[in-house]
Amino acid sequence: MIGWVVRRVAASIAIVWAVVTLTFFVIHAAPGSPFLPEQSQNVSPETIRRLVADFGLDRSLLEQYALYIRNLARGNLGESFALRRPVADALADAIPHTFVLALAALFIDFTVGLALGIYQAVRERRVGDIVLGNVALFVNSMPTFWLGLVLLLVFAQRLHGFPIGGIADPVLCPRVDSGACVLDFLWHLTLPALTLGLVGAAGTARFQRAAMLEVIRQEYVRTARAKGLGERRVWLVHALRNALLPFITLVGLAFPFLLTGAVLVETVFAWPGMGLLAVRAILQRDYYVVTGAAIVTSTMVVLGNLIADTLYAAADPRIRVRERSA
Amino acid sequence: MNVWNWVALGGAAVAALVVVAAVRRRARASVSGRRFFRHPTAAPGLFVLAFFVTIALAAPLVAPYQPYEQIDIDHLQNDAPSTRYILGTDPFSRDVWSRLAYGARISLGIGALAMLVAMTIGAAVGATAGYFRRWVDTALMRLVDVGLAMPRIFALLVVVALWGHIAVPVLVLLIGLTGWFATSRLVRAEVLSLREREFVAAARAIGAGPGRVIVRHVLPNAAAPIIVSAALGIGNVMLLEAGLSFLGMGVPSPAPSWGNMIADGLPKMAVAPWSATFPGLAISLVVMALNAVGDALRDALDPRKEAV
Repeated sequence: MIGWVVRRVAASIAIVWAVVTLTFFVIHAAPGSPFLPEQSQNVSPETIRRLVADFGLDRSLLEQYALYIRNLARGNLGESFALRRPVADALADAIPHTFVLALAALFIDFTVGLALGIYQAVRERRVGDIVLGNVALFVNSMPTFWLGLVLLLVFAQRLHGFPIGGIADPVLCPRVDSGACVLDFLWHLTLPALTLGLVGAAGTARFQRAAMLEVIRQEYVRTARAKGLGERRVWLVHALRNALLPFITLVGLAFPFLLTGAVLVETVFAWPGMGLLAVRAILQRDYYVVTGAAIVTSTMVVLGNLIADTLYAAADPRIRVRERSA
Repeated sequence: MNVWNWVALGGAAVAALVVVAAVRRRARASVSGRRFFRHPTAAPGLFVLAFFVTIALAAPLVAPYQPYEQIDIDHLQNDAPSTRYILGTDPFSRDVWSRLAYGARISLGIGALAMLVAMTIGAAVGATAGYFRRWVDTALMRLVDVGLAMPRIFALLVVVALWGHIAVPVLVLLIGLTGWFATSRLVRAEVLSLREREFVAAARAIGAGPGRVIVRHVLPNAAAPIIVSAALGIGNVMLLEAGLSFLGMGVPSPAPSWGNMIADGLPKMAVAPWSATFPGLAISLVVMALNAVGDALRDALDPRKEAV
């Protein structure tokens, strides 16, 4: 088990390194420069030449790459051209925002999705199951950002129930430091979290319904019923436990969904997280912020897979037995 | 909308019904065909797909205006849906319904073509890795690991944004090139078990080379997972195109795609919600139909998975 984990971690690091290298060379190969063209009227060619030299962009590509990797090994992610601050600081500001949003969305995703999936499985092929199944399929098929726009239109623009974007009221709550400001933050969080969470929940419900129905037909469930256990206990204790196994994979897979979904949803709601930072950096050719974002996102994807596999092995004794005998 | 547009629209619905009926009649001959139509959402899903494909093909007949035509830029911006403009007009005074009909060509076309690219690469890589195993397999699957670790929209944004506006065929190619990783894993798993079967040994024994064995004997037997993931994948591509176009990096305006129609309508969404909501509804509806058909296909083609 330990050897397996070590091997997986090493492979994960190699994957992240490959993603970083790929991103580095792709953005450097793109036409254009992070700084204004030299004909620009406002900035003298002198200044631009100095900026290019300052950031080491006049050296050869391989030299720049070697320097970047050497700095990376020391934990230095470079400096942002546009923000004039270390990339690590910019990421450290953005990551908590995305993380909170992802956590809230995951919470909605899993609670709503699980409840819906179990309910649908219990009411299989009856009206409730069919109606909810079609609604879930429809919500799951929406472009996430479009659902965000519709929620904004209805709840913020028409009903004035929610703010139209941002993370907190900039005048009353520049920093979250009081009870009222925590409420303000949650108020701002509701719509973006709902957008991501509902689309995810629709997928989770479909998945969970299928998993429950697969389990409920097995013989140990018949045994449980034959013992005289009530339906509630059969479904919620005996069936649910085994039906939760594939759900663990879903937890791991939810990581990339939340991060990629977050790119668009953060743009819609002006949520200052990783997605917004990455999109702006790409548009501004802010090389090291882009590679920094690539490091963070690919690490999250790899980590999600790793956690899912490890949890799976921990939760299912049958997998461990197979590992040992192999 | 004049009378002839309505007649054409009705004709499109009838044509879609005819297509579904024809497919159902042919499907009755096979076990998996019957199983496909036993799935409750299969026929409605197929109908929605056939309907939108018909509209895309017959766009000049069902659309009263040209998709680029600015009807009256001074007086007709953001006009509410009416009998004349059934889905209203957008901020540039263009008929939303006409753009939706012509946009179906671009959105569905990008979905289908990008998926074709992705499936071809995915099947080729997966079959090569699974058939030759050893270092070929290791190298290709590590490449797939890297591809899967990079969020697709992020990778596409980097390329599209940095190279500036990109022609639609290149966009299709790029979306396809970033979409084959998961498919290749599926195909590889299938090929790994197929290559041990007797008919493959028989083919090799009569002197067939690896290329012939893979293309003529192995891949046809691995078609089921490829078809299913293609059906589900087209929906994904359409959502991706919508997202990219929304950020202004997909299909360049004024060509109508359902994604950039949402982006065009966005600035006036508060006063004229129709120009951004209807294309989003169209995307949701088509993706839903694709998912429904994909589910039914999986149940029909993969007997190991019990239909639930």
